[in-house]
Amino acid sequence: MASIIPRAWKRLRLSKTSGWVCNDCRRTFATSRVQRQQQPPASGQHESQDPKSTHFGFQTVTEELKAGRVANVFSSVASSYDTMNDLMSLGIHRLWKDHFVRSLNPGSRNSVEGQKILDIAGGTGDIAFRMLDHASNINHDNQTSVLVSDINPEMLGEGRKRFATSPYKAAGRVAFLEANAEDLSAINDSSIDLYTVAFGIRNFTYKQKALEEAYRVLKPGGVFACLEFTPQLRNPVMNAIYKRWSFGAIPLIGQVVAADRDSYQYLVESIERFPSQEEFAGMIRKAGFLLPGHGGEEEGMQGAWEDLTMGIAAIHKGVKPA
Amino acid sequence: MSTPLALRSILRAPAALRPLLLQQSSRALYHSYEHDAPPAYRDPENAILSSALAQVPTHGFTQEALTLGARDAGYLDISTNLFPKGPFEIVKYHLVTQRLGLKDRVQFPDDKTGVGKRVRSLVLERLRANVETGVLPQWQQALALMSLAENIPASLRELSALSDEIWFLAGDVSVDGSWYTKRASLAAVYAATEVYQTTDQSTEFRDTGLFLDRRLEEVRTVGGVVGSTIQWAGFQAGAVVNLMRSKGVKI
Repeated sequence: MASIIPRAWKRLRLSKTSGWVCNDCRRTFATSRVQRQQQPPASGQHESQDPKSTHFGFQTVTEELKAGRVANVFSSVASSYDTMNDLMSLGIHRLWKDHFVRSLNPGSRNSVEGQKILDIAGGTGDIAFRMLDHASNINHDNQTSVLVSDINPEMLGEGRKRFATSPYKAAGRVAFLEANAEDLSAINDSSIDLYTVAFGIRNFTYKQKALEEAYRVLKPGGVFACLEFTPQLRNPVMNAIYKRWSFGAIPLIGQVVAADRDSYQYLVESIERFPSQEEFAGMIRKAGFLLPGHGGEEEGMQGAWEDLTMGIAAIHKGVKPA
Repeated sequence: MSTPLALRSILRAPAALRPLLLQQSSRALYHSYEHDAPPAYRDPENAILSSALAQVPTHGFTQEALTLGARDAGYLDISTNLFPKGPFEIVKYHLVTQRLGLKDRVQFPDDKTGVGKRVRSLVLERLRANVETGVLPQWQQALALMSLAENIPASLRELSALSDEIWFLAGDVSVDGSWYTKRASLAAVYAATEVYQTTDQSTEFRDTGLFLDRRLEEVRTVGGVVGSTIQWAGFQAGAVVNLMRSKGVKI
């Protein structure tokens, strides 16, 4: 601890940013309504007038550029990614991930084959570890395997490092694949039981395309599951506090701990740009999935996702019909 | 009344979402004789849940029954993620399908049967469905699931829907305050009788029938007493006002 403080101080003084909070973000949480009118809306980025441009945080970039810039962000944060998650979410991301895996209940009892799980954007192996633990310890399933896929070799490297000493690696229950989620040509049609993507899909350039690709690789009856941040909390007071935290504290923590303010600035801006729960559920349905939990009830789409911690994050699921 | 509100909320939503909202609001809040109601469950849900219900007599209302049901219906173990509430969804499926099937189980050929008699035979018929589907030995488990805090709203909604269905099928057309009291008291009677049924050891569930008769008789007595008391209180109040007026009080 004592050694961190002088190091952090040095980083702070070296940084060129003029203020604690940049002007763009100030505008964002102060008058989100006005700002939304001025800037193109978060949804329908693919349908916007200029089909070639998309957003990178609050900046507008060409679609070809986005993937490269996202890659840069994750290359630079890979080594400190897990520490940063703990600091930014005050440890709550672990609870979310645990709940996510428990609610999916991976692994099958009395089954010879086990399940094939594809963990997209799962670089550091956080979800993969939990999946395998749950399958082995809860369902006594020692066959289920996880294919960890990430577009970023640095993030995958972190995952490989973590799995190197685990028994799962020795049992051949985990594999790694460097691939773009919008083009999973390395994976056969109808070959996956469970497709998960945790805190990854908001970085994709073409989200609908990735959903369609998920639909293709899943077996009939297979499940698409996504854990992702939401752009707005339901409670306006909590939303204001939360925006303060995410635009004020997170880039600062990134600057102090990981010496990389811009990457974390991008992370919080990309959350702001992600579609709302309703819109995203609509996108999942559009890709052909059955949304859970609103069969014959008047709840509408309410059961289609699950809000976590006042709706800071949400779990979306979809089942491929047989 | 609700139409302008619904319309406003649709117009307020982003344009991309409006078709979704319109799709939802197409469900009518009233009963139509001309058009069949939309199916309560989508086909894959129907397939999995009905197979799961067939597993209930051996496996109870458990996640295992749901998983086996999914396998029987040609789905995967993981497909049970379609049902976020797990085993409770099987319970609800039984409640919903039996409620909707009630109208085909009971026919009243003549108009001579009184509404009270019809209510009695409808309740007994609904309870017989628990026996015929073989879920009765596991029904205490279902009642336990229904009483969990997260499931109470859905369970109560289903109970009131059943109560409403029974009064409707019995031919009750009251549109006064008794509309509510009738449904509330029948819901209470039904719930009590169903709990009694799970412990009934008599042949052909004769004791359950007798239990139901006693409860219905109580409702009739209590309802009569309450009605008479209200009538008496109203008369007394009117008399007091008239008495005061006769003494010169300006009311």
